[in-house]
Amino acid sequence: MALLEKVDKNIEARAWQGEIPIQSRYTCGLAGEKFFREIMENGRFAGTHCAECEYTYVPPTIYCERCFAKLDEWVEVGPEGTVQSFTVLLVAPDGTPLEEPDILALIQLDGADSVLVHRLGKVGLDELAIGMRVKAVFKPKKEREGSILDIVHFVPVNA
Amino acid sequence: MPKEVAIIGVGYAGFRALTPEVSYKELMYEAAVKAYEDAGVDPRRDIESFVTVAEDFTEGTSIFDEYVPDQLGAVLKPVHTISGEGLHGFIAAYLQVLTGAMDIVAVEAHSKASNILTPDEIMAFAMDPVYNRPLRANPHFIAGLEMNRYLCETGTTREQCALVVAKNKHNALYNPLAAYGASIAVEDVLESEMVSYPLSRLDMSPRADGAIVMVLAARERAEELSDIPIWIRGVGWCNDSFSLENRDWTNAIYAARAAEMAYRMAGIRTPWQELDFAEIDDTFSYKELQHMEALRLCRPGEAGLLVEDGATEIGGEFPVNPSGGSLGMGHLLDASGLARLLEVVLQLRGEAGQHQLSDVETGLAFGWRGLPTTSGAAVILSN
Ligand SMILES: [Zn+2]
Repeated sequence: MALLEKVDKNIEARAWQGEIPIQSRYTCGLAGEKFFREIMENGRFAGTHCAECEYTYVPPTIYCERCFAKLDEWVEVGPEGTVQSFTVLLVAPDGTPLEEPDILALIQLDGADSVLVHRLGKVGLDELAIGMRVKAVFKPKKEREGSILDIVHFVPVNA
Repeated sequence: MPKEVAIIGVGYAGFRALTPEVSYKELMYEAAVKAYEDAGVDPRRDIESFVTVAEDFTEGTSIFDEYVPDQLGAVLKPVHTISGEGLHGFIAAYLQVLTGAMDIVAVEAHSKASNILTPDEIMAFAMDPVYNRPLRANPHFIAGLEMNRYLCETGTTREQCALVVAKNKHNALYNPLAAYGASIAVEDVLESEMVSYPLSRLDMSPRADGAIVMVLAARERAEELSDIPIWIRGVGWCNDSFSLENRDWTNAIYAARAAEMAYRMAGIRTPWQELDFAEIDDTFSYKELQHMEALRLCRPGEAGLLVEDGATEIGGEFPVNPSGGSLGMGHLLDASGLARLLEVVLQLRGEAGQHQLSDVETGLAFGWRGLPTTSGAAVILSN
C-alpha cells in the first residue's frame, strides 16, 4: 500500500535544519613532503619518474599508477610549462557570483607528463589559449608554508 | 550472453524540483511499493536481498547504510549500501542473482537534493585536500576545464553542446516524469549566465528529487512472475585515475572501458548498429557528446555533427536520451544512472507513452558519478 495521505499544505511541510562540523588533518605523505619542501626551500618542482612507463608524476607519487612499481627516481621539472586547458570561473565556492573572474588552468610543467591545477594571473581574458606558455610565481621565501598556495599563480612567460 | 537475469519490476517517486511533503524515507517507500506491486512480489516474503546506493555527505548523516532497511521492507534481511553511481548498485544486485545465491533482489537509489543546502561545498569536499582544495575554487571549474579541452581537441562547438540541451529539454516535454521540460533555442543556452567558461548555466542539468526501485529475478522466477521481463545482456564499470593531475582530460576513458566490458558480455561489436537507442549521462551538455564518442555510438569528434543533423532526436536514426536525460528530467545525484536505466526499461516494455520509440529491442544505459569523479557504469538491456 502506498501513501494514502500526504502533507498538502505548504506551511505544514516541516523540516529540521542541521550541519555537520568536521575537522581533519590531511597528511601529505612521503612524496608530498618532498614536493612541498622543494618548493619552500628552493622554489623548484620535484617529480617522480617511472622508467618503465616513461611517465613523470608532478605532484609526485611514490608508486606508479600505470604499472604499480615503487618509484624512487626524482627529477626536477618546470618552472615553465604549457597550458593544456583553462577556464574562467565566475562562481564562488558557495555558488554565488564572483566579483572578479578566477582563471584556472591545467599546466603541464616542462618535463612532466601529468598536469598541475592552479590559477593563471597577469593575463587578459582575450590572451588565454590552450597551448600558451606559462611560468610559476612563488610567494617570497619567508612566507612559504608548505602548501600548494606557496605558488601564487602561473603567468605568461613573456610577462 | 544468455538470458539469465531480468528486471521484473520498476517503481519510482518524485522526479520534481522539490518534494517537501515527504521525507526521503517516504519517497523511497513510495518507489518501493510501486516496484513490488509491478513485480508482483512481497518484499517480506519474496525478496531475498536488497542493495541501496547512497553517499553520506549528500544524505547529511554518517553511516547512511543503517538508514535503509525499514522503508524498503528489508529489516532482518541481507542488505548493503554502495557508495557509487546508481548503476554500480544495480550491477551489484545483478551479480548477486547471477551467482545463484539469490533469486530475487531489489536495488534502490534516490535523491533528496532539495534538502542539501550546500551542494557545491559537498562537491568541493570530494577534491584532493592537499593539492586541489586549498585553491578554494567552485568545483564546476573542473567541468569548465574539461569542456574547453574537449571542444578544442574535437572541434565540437558550444552551439552543438547547446543543441543537446535544446533536444533533451524538448524530449522532456513529452515525459510526464521530467521536471525540466522546456522549449528553448540554442541562443538561450549560449546567452545564459556563464558559470565556468565555456560552461553556462543552461549547459548544466538542474537537480531534482526522486527515488527509483527495481526488482531483479533469476530466469525461472522472472518468467513465472512477469509477462514482460527485461533481460540484462551486459554490464560494465570502470574508473579512470581520480586525481585531476593524472586523469585523461580529453577522452571519457572510464566510459569507453565500462562500455567495452558490457559490449563484450552482450556480444555487441558495432554498438551504433546493434543497439536501438541509448540513455546516457548528460550531467553537462558536452558530457552527452563526449560519452557518445567514448561509448562508440559514433566516431571520435562526430557526436556534435550527429546532434546537428538531428540523428539523436526521438525520430532520428539513433535516439539518445529520449527521456530528456538529466538536462530535461533533472539530475538525481547518484540515482541518475538508475533513472537512465528506468527509461530503457519503459521503452523496451513499450510503456514510454508519448515519447515511445518504435520497434526497440536493445538499449544502453550509461551513468557517470558526476564531479569530480571519473567513475562510470554501463548496462545493456533487451526485451
Ligand atoms: Zn610505471
